[in-house]
Amino acid sequence: MPDESYRRFLDPTVVSKLATMELRARLVVEGFVTGLHRSPYKGFSVEFAEHRQYMPGDPLKHIDWKVYGKTDRFYIKEYEEETNLRGHVLLDASASMGYASEGISKFEYARYLAAALIYLMLKQQDSVGLLVFDEVIRKFIPPRSNPRQLHLLLSELERAEPSAETQIGVVLHELARRVRRRGLVILISDLLDDPENVLPGLKHFRHLKHEVVVFHVLDPRETRFGFDTDATFRDMETGELMTTEPFSIRGDYVEAVERWMNLLRRECAESRIDYMPVLTSTPYDRALFSYLEKRKRLG
Amino acid sequence: MGLTFLNGAFLVGALVALLPIVIHLISRRRVETVDFSSLRFLKELERKRIRRVRLRQILLLIIRSLILLSVALALARPTIRGPLAGAAGARARTSIAIVLDESASMGRSLDGVPLFDEALRVCRDVSELLDEGDQAFLVTASDPPRDVLPDGTFSREALEEALAGLGVSSSATDYAGAFAEATRLLGGARNLNRELYVVADLQRTGWSAIAARSVGEPASGEAESGEAVRGYVVPIQGPTGNLGVASVDAGRKYGGTPGLFSISAEVRNWGARRVDVPVRLFVDGVQVGQTGAALEPGGAAIAALTTTVDETRWHSGWVELPPDALEIDDRRYFVIPPATRTEVLVVRASGDEPRGDAYYVSRALDPSGSSERFSPVEVDAVSLGSQEDGRFPVAVLADVGRLDSSGENWIVRHVEGGGGVLLVFGSRTDLRYWNADLLPRLVGARLKTTIDRPSGVRLAPAGAGHPLLDGLVFGERLIDDVTVRRGFEVELGVDGARRPEEVLEIPGIGPMLILGRTGSRGEVGVVLTGIDPAWSDLPQSGFLVPLLHRLVAHLEGARVRGEGVFVGHDLTVVLDETAIGRVDVELPDGGTAIAELRPSGGRAVVAAADTPGVYRFLVDGREAALGAVNVDPRESDLAALEPEELGERVVGVTFRTLDVRGPIEGEIVEARRGRELWRVFVYFALALIAVEMLLARPRGA
Repeated sequence: MPDESYRRFLDPTVVSKLATMELRARLVVEGFVTGLHRSPYKGFSVEFAEHRQYMPGDPLKHIDWKVYGKTDRFYIKEYEEETNLRGHVLLDASASMGYASEGISKFEYARYLAAALIYLMLKQQDSVGLLVFDEVIRKFIPPRSNPRQLHLLLSELERAEPSAETQIGVVLHELARRVRRRGLVILISDLLDDPENVLPGLKHFRHLKHEVVVFHVLDPRETRFGFDTDATFRDMETGELMTTEPFSIRGDYVEAVERWMNLLRRECAESRIDYMPVLTSTPYDRALFSYLEKRKRLG
Repeated sequence: MGLTFLNGAFLVGALVALLPIVIHLISRRRVETVDFSSLRFLKELERKRIRRVRLRQILLLIIRSLILLSVALALARPTIRGPLAGAAGARARTSIAIVLDESASMGRSLDGVPLFDEALRVCRDVSELLDEGDQAFLVTASDPPRDVLPDGTFSREALEEALAGLGVSSSATDYAGAFAEATRLLGGARNLNRELYVVADLQRTGWSAIAARSVGEPASGEAESGEAVRGYVVPIQGPTGNLGVASVDAGRKYGGTPGLFSISAEVRNWGARRVDVPVRLFVDGVQVGQTGAALEPGGAAIAALTTTVDETRWHSGWVELPPDALEIDDRRYFVIPPATRTEVLVVRASGDEPRGDAYYVSRALDPSGSSERFSPVEVDAVSLGSQEDGRFPVAVLADVGRLDSSGENWIVRHVEGGGGVLLVFGSRTDLRYWNADLLPRLVGARLKTTIDRPSGVRLAPAGAGHPLLDGLVFGERLIDDVTVRRGFEVELGVDGARRPEEVLEIPGIGPMLILGRTGSRGEVGVVLTGIDPAWSDLPQSGFLVPLLHRLVAHLEGARVRGEGVFVGHDLTVVLDETAIGRVDVELPDGGTAIAELRPSGGRAVVAAADTPGVYRFLVDGREAALGAVNVDPRESDLAALEPEELGERVVGVTFRTLDVRGPIEGEIVEARRGRELWRVFVYFALALIAVEMLLARPRGA
């Protein structure tokens, strides 16, 4: 497959049509990587460890020519993998994440994004864990970097389905209490909970010196409220009904959503939390870039 | 100032203004339920926005309904008329119809000015108000009405030329027909702005045809199709007092010498003052008699005159009053035809004995078999239905028990066509048959039963004596006594019919001879005792011959009465068929014409005779017949309607009265200039659409 053709796997709709979660994760990451000028796998995940004598078959580029100049012998530079970054991917599986106006639902988008991130992190030799939650923690897999971790996490993502109400604040506090060793916390959620609950939970991680990235996943229709005719709306979490005339309140709705997102953005910025809003139509590379930037800063 | 709609039919379209409300109600029931991630924001908004949304919805409904209403109103072309509109308004193109009264009554003068000249001046004033694009129709209100400009004209000159070609006619007035025609024309007029002008003396009798024609609701109905027609009535008033000769009856005088005629003229006073007036009789252009009549206000008198003429040829004449306000009805013409041998159909009962009633009737009418006056033709009752219509002026049914349906139809046709019938009842009479329908229908009587007076009673004149018996009665006795032994008792005036005249009486039984008619043109006589020795000695009496001669002459009378037809109608005379080649007519005004010949019956016709007087029909230069044409006596009654009454009689038109003496243009131009408001409604609708778009625009879209 030509490298460029991988780029189409950054399109969420295309990804949703792939068979397995692993394939989705790999193709998304490969598609992302082909767009980069430098490989994300190099430069920060390994450290020089020692020299050993050259053996036939070793790559010539690893020969240390300075040592050769001094000793007239071939030595190979050996590197040690850095595995001190512990990542936690927190996936919101509440019922509201199941909403899809067209194309894929927020939950599908979120789990493909989670899969891609996990794949990327494991490729970079980081250890990564997964937490699936709604109003409670439904699944928690602690971070590991061994080869079986990828399969384990992706299988879990495959199984996850949205249901029940959201209690993000509670869940974040609970997780913060469990994860003592500092690391990277990646929250993928629509954050449809009271910001008064959500933000303290996120700040709790910061308080414990964790780095936090929030991928705020929303459906385009949730931001624009693009309904044309009068309708009765049913809350996917509570089942509550409300009839209204969408086009007449659209302006106010959009304003309210913007205010809400601005609040989240501002509060996150104040707490040095990376806040990244993504729509389900947004290609995955934006989110992955955001992650890489964060990772870079962490060294 | 008033608001009218030039396209009133589009007002129905205003109902579409209800459409948004209906759609709203329907769509409310069809609201779809949609799953949404969270109502969090909606609930927040609901508190603040819900009232505004509802208010906006109502506002939008009202605005949308108003938009549709405005469009419907704009299409209906609302027009405001009046001084304000005139100042700022534009002139609308107009179609007008002028109903001009040129009937005989318009020949009057007021202060030396003929009414018709005044009417023409008004019409010209109306014509002056026509502008480019205006359409005009002109209808005369005479009988029959005449459409002078059938397709209308857009040229003022053409209208004025048509007016110049009109003059006072001698016809009666027919407003009903004229309005029907005018409304029909306006119904198909080019311009939606329509005006109807009535320039007339508003003679009340001109409306007499309305009930018959139901023109209170215009015949075509087109003027009622929602387009308002503005009506203007210009009453042309003249003197209303008038004397006139209403009718003339020229009949042979019973019992007189040959050629002696009695001329009865009905003279009427339509004025408010009592008048004594001389009545003069002219025959063949020479005054031959004069009498006087005293006429009470609104009253009538019969002026009876006699004259003797040579019965071998035609004569004409007139009865004349001194000239007054309306001169044309002061003279009434008549003609007297030469005496001819009249064929009388004598119908006998099938299988009648040789010397039955029919025998005595035939012998009485033509005792010698060579009478110059009557020629009886005897037929069986069964062949009555096959007799030629119009051949026999009088039919005598001599003791016919009953008729078959064809015979019955012939009799009814004959009487309705003006023929006379004499029914002689006797021993064969089937009471039930005659009483069931035919007798009440013909003469308004029913037979009751026969009454016998075996010793016989003497026949006597009934009451004061009928003119028919002039010279046949001396005091209470007939010229020759008649003894009656049996007669029918009869009931008169049945089924609401007018009671027939009683001529002779059988003391103790009832009438012996009655004469009457029930709405038909022809008259019917009934003899209630058989002309049969078993019933009476009439067959042997010297009274029978003069009685039957007079009866048949009387029943034939319509032929002799020479009043003719009214102006505007076809004048028809019957000529000797063998003589017909070409028939020239000398007209009363000295002109000549060629009569139309009708294929059957030797009839010559002058169509729509327009001049009163005597028409002389010539075959090969020889006088073949005379016909009289007179003014319809309805025209003599000059009482006028109040202009306000016009509106009650013409549905769909609102009339304004204009003063003939004042300038008429002010009010007409003001109303015609009315400002059309459709643009206002279009702009209003556009403004509403803009507001609607603003209000309905999804915010933040």
